[in-house]
Amino acid sequence: MDYDPMAMDDAESLGPVVKISQADSVRVKFELQNADISFANSLRRVMLGEIPTIAIDLVEIENNSSVLADEFIAHRLGLIPLNAEGVEHLLYSRDCDCEEYCEHCSVRLTLHARCTGYDNMSVSARDLVPVGERINQTLGTPIITDKDGTGSLILKLRPDQEIKLECIAKKGIAKEHAKWAPSAAIGFEYDPHNKLRHLDLWYESDPKAEWPPSEYAKWEEPPVEGEPFDFDAVPNHFYFNVETAGNLPPDGIVAEGIKVIQQKLAGLIHELTEGEGDGGYDGPRSPEYNSGPDTNYGYSTSYGGNGGNQSAWGGGGGTTPFGGQTSYGGGGWS
Amino acid sequence: MAARRDSDVAMDDAPTSHQPEVKDDTMVDDEGDDFDENEGEEEEEEVEIQRVKLLPGSTETAASFEFANEGHTLGNALRYVIMRNPDVEFCAYAIPHPSEAKMNVRIQTFEGTTAIEALEKGLRDIQELCDVVTEKFVKAAADFAEKKAATG
Ligand SMILES: [Zn+2]
Repeated sequence: MDYDPMAMDDAESLGPVVKISQADSVRVKFELQNADISFANSLRRVMLGEIPTIAIDLVEIENNSSVLADEFIAHRLGLIPLNAEGVEHLLYSRDCDCEEYCEHCSVRLTLHARCTGYDNMSVSARDLVPVGERINQTLGTPIITDKDGTGSLILKLRPDQEIKLECIAKKGIAKEHAKWAPSAAIGFEYDPHNKLRHLDLWYESDPKAEWPPSEYAKWEEPPVEGEPFDFDAVPNHFYFNVETAGNLPPDGIVAEGIKVIQQKLAGLIHELTEGEGDGGYDGPRSPEYNSGPDTNYGYSTSYGGNGGNQSAWGGGGGTTPFGGQTSYGGGGWS
Repeated sequence: MAARRDSDVAMDDAPTSHQPEVKDDTMVDDEGDDFDENEGEEEEEEVEIQRVKLLPGSTETAASFEFANEGHTLGNALRYVIMRNPDVEFCAYAIPHPSEAKMNVRIQTFEGTTAIEALEKGLRDIQELCDVVTEKFVKAAADFAEKKAATG
């Protein structure tokens, strides 16, 4: 069998291709071609966990005579999707100059409901009212998509019960808490015919009968009976299904996801290059490589990392350009 | 000290404490300069953790890097893209311990380039890829919207 070792690079050298098969206000389905699985997975991970949105983070309860405990309600409030449009102009509270929170790093919402009728009353996201200064008039508004226009149900009140509270919504990412996730779900799929055998399908008697074909199965050539396994094949078509929780538009999630990767990279490149002139104590500049038998790679890192740095702050060591925490310490070249 | 299991650092060079020394600095700052209190910017910049470190034992063409607060998201894509560089002999990444937010990348290059250069090129290559994907996605979304408007 003739094979070209560069063959698998060929597809990629064509450059990535994006095809959209469905797009509406709730989801976008698209296919990414000619990219490596590692990149496709980075995109998936970043869309799941690292896109900043806004969610209720602090709740001050003034009165709660409902049957639900305060912390239970606070948790439910946190999970209510809020409009994140313009969240890039909002500061993280930890980066803000204010004491605890302010209009530059938070949105205030109040909830006050009392059941005055004879029937139980539902309190829902609609009853959360943004108050005070806001960066724009949509940021932090509860998302309401149901046809009744009530939004998510928070709690129910019996006659004469009351709930009164104030919420502080802050910026955050889903890596910290899932309430900041912009996506309700992200479908990620490749190789619908399992030609690469990355899956080992469990079955009772016949996997073909028991596993219904994926919706993308008709997009790719089915395997030919008796076809030999292709050892050089790599996944090359990735099918994404990005579904929003409402806080960001679905295509916005994709764009924001790529932006988050870009920011990560830009920050790292900046750190790598900034010390090049001299100034920076930061980046891993190349020092005089010590020739000592100091070849303890890898696993010693958690200890070695701190290794013997008389850092630029503290000790008498040295204010070397690599000073700080360069973890080069050990060798004594400073 | 007794807990050190490696001998990669001579006793004399070993740190007196594993506490980040940044702490001392902030304390001194607070005592010494009351006016500084609101000038958080400068202070914070210093406190900000270093995101890439060169690990001990690295040479020009064979180096290990430690990334703070990164994981598979960056690690795997970076590993792949660096490995595609023909001047790179070897590249791999690892997350040494799941409860430490650290990711290590090992790069060994052939003569003619350095590990740091290869790392930087890798980062820039992903950036470029991101640019292209953004461009393609935006175009695909616009085309789709146009088609939808035309048919419906
Ligand atoms: Zn603030």
